[in-house]
Amino acid sequence: MSAPYPLVHATASAPLGQRLTVAEEVLKFVRTKPLGAGGALIILGMMLVALFAEALAPYDPYRGDYGLQFARPSVDHWFGTDEFGRDVLSRVMYGARIALFVGFVASFAGCTLGGLLGVVSAYWGGKVDLILERLMDVLLAFPQLILALAIASILGPAVQNVVVAVAIPIIPRAARVVRATALSVKENPYVEAVQALGALRRRVVLRHIVPNVMAPYIIMLTAQLGGAILTEAALSYLGLGTAEPTPSWGLMLSGSAPSYAEKAPWIALFPGIAISLGVFGFNLFGDSLRDALDPKLRKT
Amino acid sequence: MRTYVAKRLLLIIPTLLGVASLVFVIMRVIPGDVTLLILGGDQAGRIDPAQIAAMKRRLGIDQPLLVQFGTWLWGVLRFDFGTSLWSGRPVVEELLIRLPLSLELAFAATLVSVLIAIPCGMLSAVRQDTWVDYVIRVISIGGLAIPSFWVGILCILFLVIYFGWGPPLEYTPPWVDPWANFQQMVWPVVTVGYRYAAVTTRMTRSTVLEVLREDYIRTAWAKGLRERAIVVRHALKNAMLPVITLIGTEFAFLIGGLVVTETVFTLNGVGRFVVDAVARRDYPVVQALVFLIAFGFVIVNLLVDLTYAWFDPRIRYR
Amino acid sequence: MAPRIQRHGLAVTLAALAVLVASVVAATPAAARAAETGRRGGVLLAVIGADPPSLDPHQESTFANIQLVAPLYSTLLQIDPYGYPKIVGDAASEWKIAPDGITYTFKIRHGIRFHDGSPLTAADVKATYDKIVSPPAGVLSIRKNAYTEVASIEAPDPSTVVFRLTFPSASLLNNLASPWNVIYPKTYLDKDPNYFKTNVMGSGPFKFKAYTRGATFEGVRNPDYFVKDRPYLDGYKFFISPETSVRAAAIRSGRAYIEFRDLPNAEVEAIKKQLGDKIVVQTTPMTGQFGIAINNAAKPFNDVRVRKAVTLGLDRYTAGKVLYGITGLKLVGGLMRPGSEWAMPEAELQKLPGFWTDAEKSRTEAKRLLAEAGYPNGLKVVLKNRNVKLPYQDFAVFAIQEWRRIGIEAENRPLETAAWFNDGQNTGNFELIIAPTVEFMDDPDQFLGRYVTGSTQNWGRYSDPRLDDLFSRQARTLEPAERQKLVNELQKVVLENAYYMPGLWWMRNVVHWAKVKNYVAQPSHYTNQKLQDVWLSED
Repeated sequence: MSAPYPLVHATASAPLGQRLTVAEEVLKFVRTKPLGAGGALIILGMMLVALFAEALAPYDPYRGDYGLQFARPSVDHWFGTDEFGRDVLSRVMYGARIALFVGFVASFAGCTLGGLLGVVSAYWGGKVDLILERLMDVLLAFPQLILALAIASILGPAVQNVVVAVAIPIIPRAARVVRATALSVKENPYVEAVQALGALRRRVVLRHIVPNVMAPYIIMLTAQLGGAILTEAALSYLGLGTAEPTPSWGLMLSGSAPSYAEKAPWIALFPGIAISLGVFGFNLFGDSLRDALDPKLRKT
Repeated sequence: MRTYVAKRLLLIIPTLLGVASLVFVIMRVIPGDVTLLILGGDQAGRIDPAQIAAMKRRLGIDQPLLVQFGTWLWGVLRFDFGTSLWSGRPVVEELLIRLPLSLELAFAATLVSVLIAIPCGMLSAVRQDTWVDYVIRVISIGGLAIPSFWVGILCILFLVIYFGWGPPLEYTPPWVDPWANFQQMVWPVVTVGYRYAAVTTRMTRSTVLEVLREDYIRTAWAKGLRERAIVVRHALKNAMLPVITLIGTEFAFLIGGLVVTETVFTLNGVGRFVVDAVARRDYPVVQALVFLIAFGFVIVNLLVDLTYAWFDPRIRYR
Repeated sequence: MAPRIQRHGLAVTLAALAVLVASVVAATPAAARAAETGRRGGVLLAVIGADPPSLDPHQESTFANIQLVAPLYSTLLQIDPYGYPKIVGDAASEWKIAPDGITYTFKIRHGIRFHDGSPLTAADVKATYDKIVSPPAGVLSIRKNAYTEVASIEAPDPSTVVFRLTFPSASLLNNLASPWNVIYPKTYLDKDPNYFKTNVMGSGPFKFKAYTRGATFEGVRNPDYFVKDRPYLDGYKFFISPETSVRAAAIRSGRAYIEFRDLPNAEVEAIKKQLGDKIVVQTTPMTGQFGIAINNAAKPFNDVRVRKAVTLGLDRYTAGKVLYGITGLKLVGGLMRPGSEWAMPEAELQKLPGFWTDAEKSRTEAKRLLAEAGYPNGLKVVLKNRNVKLPYQDFAVFAIQEWRRIGIEAENRPLETAAWFNDGQNTGNFELIIAPTVEFMDDPDQFLGRYVTGSTQNWGRYSDPRLDDLFSRQARTLEPAERQKLVNELQKVVLENAYYMPGLWWMRNVVHWAKVKNYVAQPSHYTNQKLQDVWLSED
């Protein structure tokens, strides 16, 4: 297997021309990848809403107004109210928190753990590699949703448990990708030479392998973000996601929402839009980031 | 090549053994007592412990875990997957009832997705960063963003509200009555196929992009070949292998799609069967199905790798 | 029939009938049309929400079993399809109760045949009930405890069955009308007591045709049924679909004609709106109550003040208004169904904690009790639940919101059915857990057995000798008024000590096409499922 990515070395990290400042990099990204920039904008919006939910949300997302069950969208309740008279807009806003939490933590934990295992596997090789690889094979062969489902039923329904259930199936996938890259770095004559010169193991890993696996790692991370949010929704649908009355998008979409789809479509419509928009943003951004980071896809 | 094949074949053994152990352990760790579930019905049952014990004995789950594990492994070796704790029928028999539906769904969804995805993905790659690329990407990424169960529910509701029409409730194999089969399967196929197409489009796009950057394509450009010739004769041909691989490796993705879609449309297929079995703590069923799915996954991947090795001799010497 | 018992039966019947007429007739045109002449033919298409665990009703207690197989079997007695809770014969044509109240003699109808052609005799009834009452080693009987008073069952001749009791029982006839105790042929039972888990051999109005797990269950008309010219239908077919919206859509599109268990109000409204007169909705109260078991064995609920506070904190009257539209939970009542003959009079009920009509007063008292018990700043608890959408999650959402107002922060933790059972019944690993009570009829033995020390249904793990004594006394009290007093007394002990907190009693929506005639929905989704009188006015 040839190196999937051209090597980057800490000592010569900008092989192509002069270094760009962060601002310039961002500008370049926006200019060349308008879709990715759009995605980033959506994510940014989501983050702001999540961060300032207390200030932005007009009502307490948990508090039901029994006199206002199934109220249509109006000036008071922009997105209407649900079956308990809870304000849908407020719940969608607080829901951004759960979605981002599940998305970020699960994909970060899954990719990081998988990435570390990948580096360890590639660098130490031999028996360690063999055993880790078989473990990853086992996890990969296990149907992903069933694995998440089983973990969710073992741990019970709570946001942090859902994160674990979503993160574990990501591990082997990240490990695979990172290992392949790390292997090619390790076998690069330059790195071999550094090793032969007696460089410390830690130094080799930190200065040569880690920087080189960052690109696939970040690509993997962004790719999994949207997926993690969707997996949470699927688990909610199957009754193993977050629990009522938590304002989670997945939960608001499933549960008894389908029964109200006709009577009060807004109950599920807005969380549905939120979830799709959020995942859409993450995927757009992830896709463009990959285009930008992966030199093989870069337009020449 | 022969040693490579032998090595790959040998590696399957620990993987499958691992899956067999993992699923066994997971099922025993999941809280909940299958006997209580069977006896309890939908009311908190009035069941005394003696009866629970008798039930356990009858189901053979009163034995030490190691013995149970041994029995299960020994059974797997002989392709005997035991009987369902709930129905008392052999797992394989139960599986065969549901397999045709899931196979049809999987096959049709794959077909639909390939037909849509390959042309779209190629077009998107060839016209990278133009509006065609953007439109295709927005649609395909959008397709991935909508939860499939939601699409399914909306499908059903839309049809019944506006046309007073609902899909048939019972599976009819296509060879018995193609029209009835079509009516039932078309929406699930669209639901699964759409998402699958979105994934495949994205992957086709990036594979073709990669191929387009290869030296020989640049050479072709340099030689002044027409674009169509380059794309069709060189790029497509070389990109097909990875795309086929992808279709193989997305097998796991498809299984996930089946689970949700079969539940939404209440199709009596393998995906729903697994989910139900997990909820019902039907150990032999879950164990067998997960094992068989893993087996399928491993075999597909093996075939993919072997194809690769066949085409790319560098791999087999590693 | 002994005169005394007859009087009892009549009083009970009249009282209950009054209730039923009030609640059912208003809502069910089908009952009024019972007299129309039936039309022969047609297959009844129905939808059902789950697969049966097995086909053997003796070993199951879910609607998913009984609704499918009830038409295939006969029982000794049955609840009158048109007159709940009157008990009428099925395989038994008549019965006598000796004046001592401990010997019941049943006459078995002539000419009943199993679907294999063999006659149904007293020996089959005896074999069936022997298996239920005193199962041989290795055979399960989940209803054994309902027949502790039965000393022996004899079949002196092919058409006579005699039950001898150890004490006069007020509930025996009800229990012999249990829809679950279908009569099996002795020869099959002798060969394999578990034969019926996967096979069917009954004597009911329909014969078993086919069952595909996860998909369909079919029965076909039994031309040799012992009631002449019955059944009307050529057969019936259930489509199994766990998704509520799919079942509702199936009814709307006419792919199925009836859902026997319950559909949520939102779906019912939509169906009604689209199909208007083509659809009939029978709304009946249900012999099911949604409440919360409180773990009396562990902190903080081993303190009666904390238990009282949680029950005081739930405003049931508001709950009924809010939850009815979304879950069908509606009626405020004690431990016996409000509106039934055994219900506690409203005036008495409203004196008990949690049933005061003034919610503010209840909340003030709850806070006072919490402070007194050492939780002036409230407390955090976990409410375990079952991960079934309706009505479990909605009920929890409401309760949690109510409790916030008295300073109790409850976390809803929905568990899969298996884990829920395990924590509730086996290990007692919970603080609060949603624990519904569903029985096939309003019978004190059925509903109150769970409050007795050591009962497997006593999830709250309390033990009060007063309850044990009251339960055993009411079971032996034949005089209804006398029994009613004991039943009330028992309810009061449970509610005053907040051993368990009842929530709301359920309503049931049976939705069917108007062309389905002569089906009267009863307060239980387990009874009146034989379909022998049901007919279709068109295909």
